[in-house]
Amino acid sequence: MAELLFELGTEELPARFVVPALDDLEKTFTEQCAALNVKHGAIRRFGTPRRLALLVSGIAEKTDDVMKEVQGPSVKAAFEADGKTPKIPGIKFAESVKLPIDQLKRVTTPKGEYLVATVEEKGRRSFELLSDVLNLCTRKINFAKQMRWGDVEQSFGRPLQWIVALLGTEVVPVTFSDVKSGRVTRGHRFLSSASLTIDKPADYEALLEKANVIPDITKRRKVITERVAAAAQKAGGTVLHDDALIDQVVNLVELPCPVVGTFEERHLDLPAEVLIQEMKSHQRYFTLVDGQGRVLPKFIAVSNTPVKDEKLSIKGYERVLRARLTDGRFFFDEDRKKPLIDTVEKLHRRSWIDKLGTMAEKTDRIRALGVFLANAVGQAAVVSTVERAATLCKADLNSAMVGEFPELQGVMGREYALHDKEPKEVALAIFEHYLPRGAGDGLPTQDAGAIIGLADRLDSLCGLFGIGKKPTGAKDDFALRRAAITFIRIATARSYRFSLGSAIDESISLLGEKLADAKRKPTDPTVKEQVLEFFRGRLESTWKETHRADVVEAVICAGFDDLLAAQLRLEAISAYVSRPDFSALAATFKRVANIVEKQAKDVTRAPVDVSKLTDEPEKVLNVELAKVSAAFVTAVKADDYAGAMAKVVPLRPFVDAFFDKVMVMADDKALRENRVRLLMEIGALFGTVADFSKIQAES
Amino acid sequence: MPMYFQDLLLTLQNHWAKLGCIVTQGYDLEVGAGTMAPATFLRALGPEPWNVAYIQPSRRPADGRFGDNPNRLFQHHQFQVILKPAPKNVQELYLDSIKAFGIDPLEHDIRFVEDDWESPTLGASGLGWEVWCDGMEITQFTYFQKCGGYECKPVAAELTYGLERIAMYLQGVDSLYDIEWVKGVKYGEVFHQNEVEMSEYALRHSDAVQLEMLFRSYETECKRLIDLGLPLPAYDYALKCSHAFNLLDARGAISVTDRAGYIKRVRDNAALCAKGYLKMRQKLDWPLCKTAWTVGQQLPVFEGKPASDAWKTISFEDKEKKEAPRG
Repeated sequence: MAELLFELGTEELPARFVVPALDDLEKTFTEQCAALNVKHGAIRRFGTPRRLALLVSGIAEKTDDVMKEVQGPSVKAAFEADGKTPKIPGIKFAESVKLPIDQLKRVTTPKGEYLVATVEEKGRRSFELLSDVLNLCTRKINFAKQMRWGDVEQSFGRPLQWIVALLGTEVVPVTFSDVKSGRVTRGHRFLSSASLTIDKPADYEALLEKANVIPDITKRRKVITERVAAAAQKAGGTVLHDDALIDQVVNLVELPCPVVGTFEERHLDLPAEVLIQEMKSHQRYFTLVDGQGRVLPKFIAVSNTPVKDEKLSIKGYERVLRARLTDGRFFFDEDRKKPLIDTVEKLHRRSWIDKLGTMAEKTDRIRALGVFLANAVGQAAVVSTVERAATLCKADLNSAMVGEFPELQGVMGREYALHDKEPKEVALAIFEHYLPRGAGDGLPTQDAGAIIGLADRLDSLCGLFGIGKKPTGAKDDFALRRAAITFIRIATARSYRFSLGSAIDESISLLGEKLADAKRKPTDPTVKEQVLEFFRGRLESTWKETHRADVVEAVICAGFDDLLAAQLRLEAISAYVSRPDFSALAATFKRVANIVEKQAKDVTRAPVDVSKLTDEPEKVLNVELAKVSAAFVTAVKADDYAGAMAKVVPLRPFVDAFFDKVMVMADDKALRENRVRLLMEIGALFGTVADFSKIQAES
Repeated sequence: MPMYFQDLLLTLQNHWAKLGCIVTQGYDLEVGAGTMAPATFLRALGPEPWNVAYIQPSRRPADGRFGDNPNRLFQHHQFQVILKPAPKNVQELYLDSIKAFGIDPLEHDIRFVEDDWESPTLGASGLGWEVWCDGMEITQFTYFQKCGGYECKPVAAELTYGLERIAMYLQGVDSLYDIEWVKGVKYGEVFHQNEVEMSEYALRHSDAVQLEMLFRSYETECKRLIDLGLPLPAYDYALKCSHAFNLLDARGAISVTDRAGYIKRVRDNAALCAKGYLKMRQKLDWPLCKTAWTVGQQLPVFEGKPASDAWKTISFEDKEKKEAPRG
C-alpha cells in the first residue's frame, strides 16, 4: 500500500477550468485503475490557478493474480485424425501456456471443439501501470479551450510547467509536451522559492500551505468566506451573498487575502444593480450592504498576495473602480437624456436573428402576441399595460449601460422607464418579462410581465423552429429548452388557462412571411407540430424528475393543450398511484383502453343500443356508467380531477364483471359492436384524464 | 525619483533590449493596435524566430473623445513585445519587466486573469491573460494561436503594455492628460490638441463617400500587389484599408448589416498578405531559422524538440493546405 500524488503545474488556468479539469482527471484515473485492476483507496483533489492535483491513498503494491481461460487452436487443427497425436499448432499452444498437451481442456463451441488452457496471469506492479494511467489522465482533460505554446506539439488549458508524480517515494514516469515528471513543485508565485521538493505524497498539502498556497479548494473557499465576512463586519456591513462570484474568486487565487476599499458616496444614487455589476463583473469585488440590504460605498477585493502595505494596493483597487463608476455614471446620465420611448425607433437597426428580422419587428410581434395572450388568459384588464410595456421592453438594448453590461437588460429598462414617469406597472413589466434569468430568480409577480415573457419566449420558439434552428443534441444555441420550460412554469404558476395550440398558431401567423422561405419538405412536420412536440418533450423531462414515467406518459397522451389542466391531471393520477388498489384499477382501464384502441378502426362510435344488451353484467355496467358519467364530466369541468377519479373508481368491479362474464368479441356483429361501444364510452370518459393504455400495471 | 512617461518607455526598451530583443520603431502607418504592425502580424507567421520590442502609436477613431475623457484616446501608445517561440519562462521575463519600472509584486496584487483575444479583421486569435495590478489591467498577454487564418507554429507570446494607463498608475494621476512626459511637460501639452482635432475629423468631418472610395482603391491595390508577388507593400494597403474601415465605422457610416461584409473584406486582405508573406519567406529559405536567436535565460528543457522542420517543405499555394502546418 502506498500513496500517490499527481500534480500538474501550469501557468494561470482560467478560473472556470479548474473544477471541470479535476473532474476529468478523477474520472479518467478511476476508470483506468478499474480497467487495469489497480486497487486504490480514497481520492482527494486539489486545485488552484496554477495546479491540478490528485492525492490517492491505499494504492495496492501490485494487481491481483488472476486465473484466465485462454483459447487455443481447434482440436482438429491441434491433433491428427485420431484426436490424440499432437500436431504443430497443438504443441505450440501447449508450450505457450506452459502445460503438458494432455492436460489441456476441450470445450465445444458453435464452431467446433477447441483447446482451452487455464493459466494464471501474474499481477503487475502498480508502479508500472500508473505510468500509463497518469499519462492518459493528462491527455484526457477536456478543457473548454485548448492552446499550444512555444514549439511544443501538444495542447493544454494553459502552458504546462511541471509534473509531480510520486508513488510513495518513487517518481512515476509521466511525460507531457516538454515536461517530465519529478518530485519538485512550486509554491506561491511571489512568496515562495521557485522549487519545493516533495519527499512523499502525504507531505503535499502541508508543504504547499507552508509555501503560501492553500491547495484544497474547499478549504480555500471556506477561508475566503470567513475572511471576507470578517472584513465586512469590521467595515460595518455584510457581504452581498453571491455564490457564483465566490466560485470564481476561489480559483483566481492561491492565497486569499481580502482587503476593504471604498468609493465615493455620490455614486450611491446609481441603481444598486449597476453598482453591483460594476464591482463584480470586471473587478470581481464583493459588494457590502447594510442591515436593510442597501449598498454601502465599500467593497472587498480578494488579493492573491498579502502585500507589504495594504494601503498602497487598496488605492489601486479604488482607482480602478472609480474610473469604472465614473464611466457608469456617464452612461446612466447619457441614457436618461432621451426618454426610452424615443429610442424604440433605433431597434429597427438592431438585428435579432438574421432571417427573423430586427428587434423592432420582434417587439411588434411580442406586443401583438402579448395582447392575444392577455385576452386568452382572461386578463383583458392588463392589455394596455402589456401594450405599453411590450413596446418598451427591448428599448434598453440601445442604452450605453446595457451595451456595457448586457446582464442589466430589463433592469435598466425598468430604471429608465421610472425616470420617464412611465406607470410603475409598465416599468415592472419591462423588468419582469425576463424573469427568471437564472436559478436564483423568482417568477414574474405581475400579469403584464408574465404575459410579455410568455409572448417573447413563444415568438423565439416558433421563429427559430420556423427557420430550422431547433436545438439538436447538446447544441441549443438560443436556449430554447430553457425558454419552453420557463414558458410552462410561468403559465402554470400563474394558473393561466389557454390553448397552447392556438397561441402557437397566433405566433406563427404573426411571424408570417419570415418563415415563408424556410426549406421544409412536404413530408416534414409543420412548425406547429414541431413546437408542440418540443413542448411535449419538455413536459416529459420536467415531470419525469418528480413523477412516475408511465403516469407522465398517460397524462400527456390525453393532451396538454391546456397546460394547467394537464398539470392538475398529473397530480390527481399521481395521488392515486400510491393507493393499494391503483394497480388493479389501472389494469382494468388499461384493458378497456387496449380493446377500444384495437377496435377503433372497425367500430364507429355511437350510442349504446340498450335493447341489444343481452347479458346481465353488461346491463348493469351500462346503468352504473350512466350513474357516474354526468358527475365525472362535471368534476372534470371544475378541474377536480381527483374527484373525477373518485367517481370512476367504483365502476371497476362492474367492468371486471363484464370482462369476466361477457364475451366482447361475440360472433354476432351487432352484439359485438354494441359491447365495444359500451367500452368506448368508458374509455372516452377517463380518456380525457389520462391514456391508461400507457400505465404499467400487472394485468 | 518619479517615473516620467519617457522613463517608462526607455525602461521597457532597455529591459527587452538587454534580454536580446531587437528594438524597432513603431510602424509608420495608421494601425489600430501594435498587433497590426508587420513586425507582429507577419512575423508571427512561419517557423522563424522573432524577438522584437517597439512602441506603437495606435489609432482608434471610435474612441476619440475630443480630449474630454480622462481615460480614452483617439491615439494611445502600446509597448509591444513579441517573443517567438515563447520562451518557457516568459511569465517570469514579463514580471521582471514590470519590476523594472517600479511595480513590485510584493507590494501589489499581480494576477494573470483569463482573457482570450480574437481579431476578426486579422483572422487572428490567441489565448492568455490580462495582467492585473491591484485590479487594473496593465498588459495583454497572449499566446498567438492563429494569424491571417494560419496556425502559428511555433507560438509567439505577445505582450502589449498599455503605456498611458501604467504611467497614470505610476504617477498617481486620474487623467491621462496629467501624465508628466518629462519633468515640466505633460501628456496633455503634447497630445491634447491632437485628440481634439483627430476626434473632430473622425467623428464629425470625415468624408464617408471619399473614405468608401479609398477603401475600395486600397483593397484593389492590395490584391494587385499580391498578384505581383509583393506581400510587404500589399500589407501596407491592407492596413490602409483597415484604417479606412475604422474611420467609416467611427462616423457611423456602416450599417449593422454591411459591417460583417467590410470585416470580411479586411480579413481577406490580411489572409492574402499572410499567404504571400509565407511564400516569400519560404522562397528565401526562412533566413532567420539559421540564426541562434533566443531571448532571456532559458529554463532547462527536458525533452522538447525544436520546431519541426516540416515548415520548410510546406507549400502555401493552396487554400486547402492551410491546415498543413499542424502536422
